Amino acid sequence: MLKNYLLSAIRNMAKNKFYSALNIIGLTIGLVTFILIFLYVRDEITYDQHHKNYERIFRIESSFRIGTKYDNFAIVPLPMAPALQLEFPEIEKVVRFAGDDNLLVRIGDKEYYENHFYYTDSTVFDVFTHPLMAGSLDRCLAEPNSIVLTNSSAKKYFGNENPIGRIVLVDNDIQFKVTAVVADVLENSHLKFDALMSASTLAHRPGGEDFNSMEPMRFWNIGVYAYVLLSPNSKIETIFEKFPQFYEKYMKSLGDQINASFDLKATRIDKVHLNSKLSADLPTGNNAYIKIFSIVALFILLLASINYMNMATARATKRAKEVGLRKVVGAERKQLIVQFISEALLLTFIAYLLSLALTSILLPDFNTLSGKSLTFGVIASPDFLLLFFAISMLIGVISGSYPAFYLSSFSPLKVLKGHAGKSGKANQWLRRGLVLIQFFIAIVMIIATIVVSDQLDFLKNKDLGFDKNNAVVLEMQDTSFRKQAVAFKEHLLQNPSIVSACNSSGVPSRNLWIQVMLVEQENEMKEMAVILTQCDYDYPKTMGFKFVEGRDFDKNMGTDDTAAVIINETAAKQFGWGEEAIGKKINYGMELDRSGGRVMKVIGVVKDYNFNSLHNKIEPIIMFISPQPRFLTTVRYKEGEKNQALEYIEQSWKEFGNKRPFDYKILSEMQEESYGAEQRISTLFLIIASITLFIALLGLLGLSSFTAESRTREIGIRKVNGALTGDIMLLLFREFFWLILISFAFAVPVAIWQLTNWMESSFVYYTQIHWYSVALSGLVALIIGLATISFHVVRAASANPVESLKYE
Amino acid sequence: MIKSVDLTRIFLTEEVETTALRQVNFNIEQGEFVAIMGPSGCGKSTLLNIIGLLDNPTKGKYIFLDHDVTNSSERQRAKLRKQNIGFVFQNFNLIDELTVFENVEMPLIYLGIPTKERKQRVEEVLEQMQISHRKKHFPGQLSGGQQQRVAVARAVVSNPKLILADEPTGNLDSANGEEVMNLLSDLNRKGTTIIMVTHSQRDAEFSHRIIRLFDGQILVENFQSN
Repeated sequence: MLKNYLLSAIRNMAKNKFYSALNIIGLTIGLVTFILIFLYVRDEITYDQHHKNYERIFRIESSFRIGTKYDNFAIVPLPMAPALQLEFPEIEKVVRFAGDDNLLVRIGDKEYYENHFYYTDSTVFDVFTHPLMAGSLDRCLAEPNSIVLTNSSAKKYFGNENPIGRIVLVDNDIQFKVTAVVADVLENSHLKFDALMSASTLAHRPGGEDFNSMEPMRFWNIGVYAYVLLSPNSKIETIFEKFPQFYEKYMKSLGDQINASFDLKATRIDKVHLNSKLSADLPTGNNAYIKIFSIVALFILLLASINYMNMATARATKRAKEVGLRKVVGAERKQLIVQFISEALLLTFIAYLLSLALTSILLPDFNTLSGKSLTFGVIASPDFLLLFFAISMLIGVISGSYPAFYLSSFSPLKVLKGHAGKSGKANQWLRRGLVLIQFFIAIVMIIATIVVSDQLDFLKNKDLGFDKNNAVVLEMQDTSFRKQAVAFKEHLLQNPSIVSACNSSGVPSRNLWIQVMLVEQENEMKEMAVILTQCDYDYPKTMGFKFVEGRDFDKNMGTDDTAAVIINETAAKQFGWGEEAIGKKINYGMELDRSGGRVMKVIGVVKDYNFNSLHNKIEPIIMFISPQPRFLTTVRYKEGEKNQALEYIEQSWKEFGNKRPFDYKILSEMQEESYGAEQRISTLFLIIASITLFIALLGLLGLSSFTAESRTREIGIRKVNGALTGDIMLLLFREFFWLILISFAFAVPVAIWQLTNWMESSFVYYTQIHWYSVALSGLVALIIGLATISFHVVRAASANPVESLKYE
Repeated sequence: MIKSVDLTRIFLTEEVETTALRQVNFNIEQGEFVAIMGPSGCGKSTLLNIIGLLDNPTKGKYIFLDHDVTNSSERQRAKLRKQNIGFVFQNFNLIDELTVFENVEMPLIYLGIPTKERKQRVEEVLEQMQISHRKKHFPGQLSGGQQQRVAVARAVVSNPKLILADEPTGNLDSANGEEVMNLLSDLNRKGTTIIMVTHSQRDAEFSHRIIRLFDGQILVENFQSN
């Protein structure tokens, strides 16, 4: 029996090559998309679950209030974790990570710049699970000057030689001895390291930070990532409940003095990647996008299934005779249902095999696109293969069952008289409804793609309140080079291609310095946490800030280097000064008892500029002259003379004996870096929109071919009665035109609603959804849709009516 | 009005070559009522299709209303057709989704006649065919005789010079069949040329002339006395 079904299924497929191909292509594309998104989402939601104790490991986090300003950080004060362990028996182990960017690492005469080196407590391997490759994990980070490398770092530094016991020089040539090598940190870990150095090293260095100091002041200075391992059966909530007593004991008295308070937060490590939205965090994922992608994956699968149902029922007329005959010779309805479902299963099975092959081929490109490193091994694993086999077969059964029930319901008498399958009015509406849903989804995706790309353009082209063009930013990491910053700047200005230069602690899109200072209020000076930039006289001019009140820094005034401060409009507003900001006082750098400090008067107010990405609203910022050279030098060059300028800067960089290799950032690109996620989403949307549109088009192609076939008689009659080919084409196009138009009408409000939500929640500054973007998406769907059906329409319309009328 | 010279039509299907018409010559004058008779497969319908400009001859010449249409394009033929020819079929060929009124109205739409005039002409012809009380019904709700009257109404609504009827009574009982034949005779008396394919000797007796076809050739032409 099964053999009979299979044989009949295969013959049916071979007979209807066109429909079978459409179905298989549609299902394969649907499955491939689903698999790739599934792999992506699974990778994203299983972050850090490879640690044996992940359910008991929490990252502790800070919630600060300074004055009226609240801020949440992913990092905590240095002594927080050990102090918590001291007070709470629920905590079994703690471990802290302190890192630094761009560390200079030397092995022999080779130099490397590394970003993922951390000083860490010796407990790290008691808390986290990292497989050992060489050496011993026992006490590997207990001694000062010990280092644990990952497999890749060990290979990079020592090739195939045994790394254990070898020496690595880090930062200012501090010696570290390799005590162990662990496996590379898995890609889906929120904290990735290339090497871990023993924290005890720091305490043994003159002037080095003491990791174990518990001075009260240290509790008010955040600085490290810290993790706690709870004892089995303990709850993190217990610690939150008892935290007020802890705060009383360790932090309150100093906190009250500086008008600040602190609360402890924590996130279980497997939730960090997707749920954390904190300042100073490591790179994290985005929960919203995971949701979007999961929904999209299901939709695409739905679209592909719809295609199958659609085309299978469309063929009903042609299959009706077979059904009738089978029934006449004794087939029961049940058997027919099984037969039709087995046809669907055969088709999905072929699609399943094809999609596995296609996924393997596409995986490298997908990795580039998504920033993942998924391997073929994931696909080839038995549980994955089985899971997808099950999913594919489920699709087969679901999409096969409607046509099966529909087809098997034909009465043999009617069928043999040639009446069945023709009067399927409801059936026709169902098919139209299915194509409508497909186009609805496709149009929503097209609108989303266009709007996301509009938003990207907006982000890149918005007037940011400073001149972002024709400027490069240099990092002055080499401390002895930095000391010569003034001379370096003078040297640069001698070149005719260079217009101006300045030195500062921050530039727009890189302003992390925030500090508590005293700000003049009605009758008193009040503590406030304010973002600041320390700079030289040329900073406002080089950045192109526009003054709305007062003046720029001026050397001739003689006192601007100590007593002048420039603020932005938002600062004037939020400090309550309004239009009378000039002359108001700010005290920066005072002691805890408010004594001392540098009292400055506001000399100018600049027009607000976006010193952060457009995800954030503009906050108060102040700038004043720095007593010493700072980390960044910005160089503005003449339009079109970038190459000459850069050549000269590089030459000067070397002349001044900078030990670091020459490197620079383009000012306009620094902010665009924060739109990486949007860039990626934009590309992904484009791809997904293309896929949904493509699947919808397959559906439309099937429907149009069916319509053309089932209306041949009508077309014939019309032609005999004087209709020209053009009249018939119009008649057929009109039907699909309305279908696409209705989908469009449903898609527009849904798309606008969702996209507005997205933009409002992700950005403070966003583009309007333009009517022409929406119209364009409708036009795209319409043109591509009508082009798709034109083949069948033209063929049906130009057929000789004699042929069609013979069918009767 | 119609003239054919050595009209030949050959059908090619994969490997078989079938000659449906073999060097057929005839003339039909304006106002004639001609019946074409012959056994199944003799080429009656093929001939009617060529006369009706639905098909082209393989060889020979066909002249319709002084136009040599032997090699004219589908577009030209379609234009001539809609202005001059009305069709009546054995199986009526009404569109199930359209009402009686809409079915009859269809040729006028394709002739680009304004709505108001269309309505008037459709009403008139429905009245003439005594079917106006059914104008809002769908074909499925009518009897065979009624359906054929609608089909005739549709064929004459555009005042064609020629009506082609392919076994117009084939699906009707004798009473309904006679009624349809009377309608056609009436139209002929008012000046419309009629060419009808039929199996029925009784129907053929309504005509002026019978062309008998056999194996794609004209066997005899009988002129009737009436």
